[in-house]
Amino acid sequence: MADLVIDPVTRISGNASIRLVRDEGGSPGEARLQAFGYRGFDLFARGSHVDNLVTLVSRICGGDSVFHQVAAARAVEAALGIEVPAAAGLLRELCMWGQLLERHAVSLTVHSLPDLLLPSSDPGLRNIISIHRVDEEVVRRFMALKSLGTLVLREAGGRAVHAVNVLPGGVVRPMGEERRSRLAEKLGEARSLLVETARLIKLLLRRNEEVVESLGEETSPCLALRSEGEMGLLGGRAVLFEEGAGERANLSLEELQASIEERNSPHSHIRVAEIREVGSVRVGPLARVNVYGGYGSELADAELEELKTQWGFPFRRSMLAHAARILEMIHAWEMITRLLRASPGEGSRATASPGGGAGTGAVEAPEGMLVYGLELDAEGTVKTLSITAPLQFNVGALERCLLAGARSAGEGPEGDRRAAVLLETAARSFAPCIPCALH
Amino acid sequence: MRVAVLSLSSCLGCQYVLLSMEEYFYTFIGENAIPYAPFLLDQKELPEVDLLLLEGTVRHGDDFRRLREARQKADKLVALGTCACFGGVPGLADLLTEERMMRMRYGEGAVIEGAPQGVKRLLPVDAYVSVDAFLPGCPPPEDLLQGFLKLALSGTLPSRLGATVCSECGVTSPPRTREGLRRLLSSVPEAGKCLLEQGFICMGPLTRDGCNALCPSSYGVPCGGCRGPCDEALLPPFQDLKGETLRRMERATGERKEVLEREIKDTAHSFFRYCLAEPLLRRRRPGGTATLLRRLGGEGRR
Ligand code: SF4
Ligand code: SF4
Repeated sequence: MADLVIDPVTRISGNASIRLVRDEGGSPGEARLQAFGYRGFDLFARGSHVDNLVTLVSRICGGDSVFHQVAAARAVEAALGIEVPAAAGLLRELCMWGQLLERHAVSLTVHSLPDLLLPSSDPGLRNIISIHRVDEEVVRRFMALKSLGTLVLREAGGRAVHAVNVLPGGVVRPMGEERRSRLAEKLGEARSLLVETARLIKLLLRRNEEVVESLGEETSPCLALRSEGEMGLLGGRAVLFEEGAGERANLSLEELQASIEERNSPHSHIRVAEIREVGSVRVGPLARVNVYGGYGSELADAELEELKTQWGFPFRRSMLAHAARILEMIHAWEMITRLLRASPGEGSRATASPGGGAGTGAVEAPEGMLVYGLELDAEGTVKTLSITAPLQFNVGALERCLLAGARSAGEGPEGDRRAAVLLETAARSFAPCIPCALH
Repeated sequence: MRVAVLSLSSCLGCQYVLLSMEEYFYTFIGENAIPYAPFLLDQKELPEVDLLLLEGTVRHGDDFRRLREARQKADKLVALGTCACFGGVPGLADLLTEERMMRMRYGEGAVIEGAPQGVKRLLPVDAYVSVDAFLPGCPPPEDLLQGFLKLALSGTLPSRLGATVCSECGVTSPPRTREGLRRLLSSVPEAGKCLLEQGFICMGPLTRDGCNALCPSSYGVPCGGCRGPCDEALLPPFQDLKGETLRRMERATGERKEVLEREIKDTAHSFFRYCLAEPLLRRRRPGGTATLLRRLGGEGRR
């Protein structure tokens, strides 16, 4: 029986296809996410002076640009022993929360919400443009959350895409009082919108319970950065959590980098990343909430408790990542508010003499851990660079989820139609970022 | 109008700008039909459209097929962003041969099922098909994109000509310091003063305007050239981005050009960061592409 091919997978970040390979009896044997076209960023960055590194790697991914910038800057800082002024650290964090809010809003509302909202309608209608034609207000409300993230990033980072404010050593310039208060003002309005969206997502997940369950259960260990008990947006230690076994490993960033093993996929240019002696792990919003158990901010934690009673905890259903995304958006909103209220502090950038050294920079990007390993030569130019992107960790779990979806779809032409919908829904629940993975 | 949006190999940053146009985004989707935009909707086949916004570069055979189809089905094709216009940062991959790059990434003789043939060299999209309008920028600023779309959707495609970043830059001349080459890692520029004259590598004099000189003027970081080379650099007699910048730095810093040239080891990343793939910039080199790449420290491609 012929394979089922979905090409291109739509409403995701980047170009990819899904191939469902059937065995002789016609039942699904293997499900593949395929993406081609490695871009060589880690290789052509060699020889570049560190001054240029941050702007180069930013272009790996527009939607995650600040995370690449900060991961690279952290790696440089680790290699050269640079102490970043506290105020600069806070401003970077502000940029990152802003982009996380934006990125989650895009994957949740632009990419996935139409599936949850209109599961059985014509695919031609399942998108925000068509929804906008019938209900302008609802699209505007969802997009308002994206705009808020964009605004934070624009004010703190200088530009909404490929920010200009992040440099090795800190930031170029602090954020003025005027910008801070303009932002703080805007933030207040978002609270009710976030709570409403969370309510809607929870409701829709329950209403789509059958779909949620048809995508199987994933129990591979979860990997996330933790810093002082909270989300390690800018680093911290890598914690590996496994259901039943609890905290299986707690690694420094250097140990983390040393235990990442990459291998070729037989059917895609996305190289698969695993952890030595552990194997396949899961990263991203769902893994994070399983690792941390809570967010450490009031509103997000209150919402989380409700979800825990509904779905059990830790979360195993991949589609619950959508719930984790909206909780992280609430958390991001609370963190942005906190950061804007705190005293901005002094200092923006520390300088350093060029020199040799090696360093690791790791950050929690919107869809999971992003790890940079860097070696510099004595003149401050890049000798080697390694980049491991979230989807490289998640692709194993994603393909298992695809297969579970295909198996639950049933047979015959009706089964194929169901499978086609389920497979894309499954892929979107991972919000896969192809440009990052094909860096 | 019927408008489609298509990404080849890209970072999707240009599409993020499309979503960030605030109020105009709603006008855009309200007044036009958007039958195809894989980032936003499920239509899998590109239909015939009046206008197609194309982001990214051709990386392999599949991208090429998509581009050719886009050209056939779109009445007007727009190269959106510096990747599509000049190759962008991904164009730096031309420093390595494609074969070597793939070998280093996947190992000797690796077989990956279904992988399309990679291109030997990255090129801007107008090297493959004719392009009706260009909107460079990495990404193009929101107001530029909005202005561009307003014109394009009313039936006029804006032209490519423009001035340079320096013409928009609000800095003043610093007193001559003659400190030689300076890098941000180890020194902090004086705010509000011309970065090039302070000894930093600023591409403003040879870069297309339109960004309000945000980086040098508002942030005090040198222009990296993200809007791509200005017209002067692309029209005969072709300007040499590196030579021209060094000449200006020589005048400003009092350091000899040859000394600066020796000191700046990453010439491709510094002077050609967004446009290494642009053939016009290579044309003025005797021996063409290979010579240019070799002189920039790369291996070159044939
Ligand atoms: S031009 Fe810049 S923003 Fe646009 S796709 Fe290319 S790298 Fe991304
Ligand atoms: S700082 Fe750069 S862009 Fe501004 S005037 Fe000087 S050279 Fe031109």
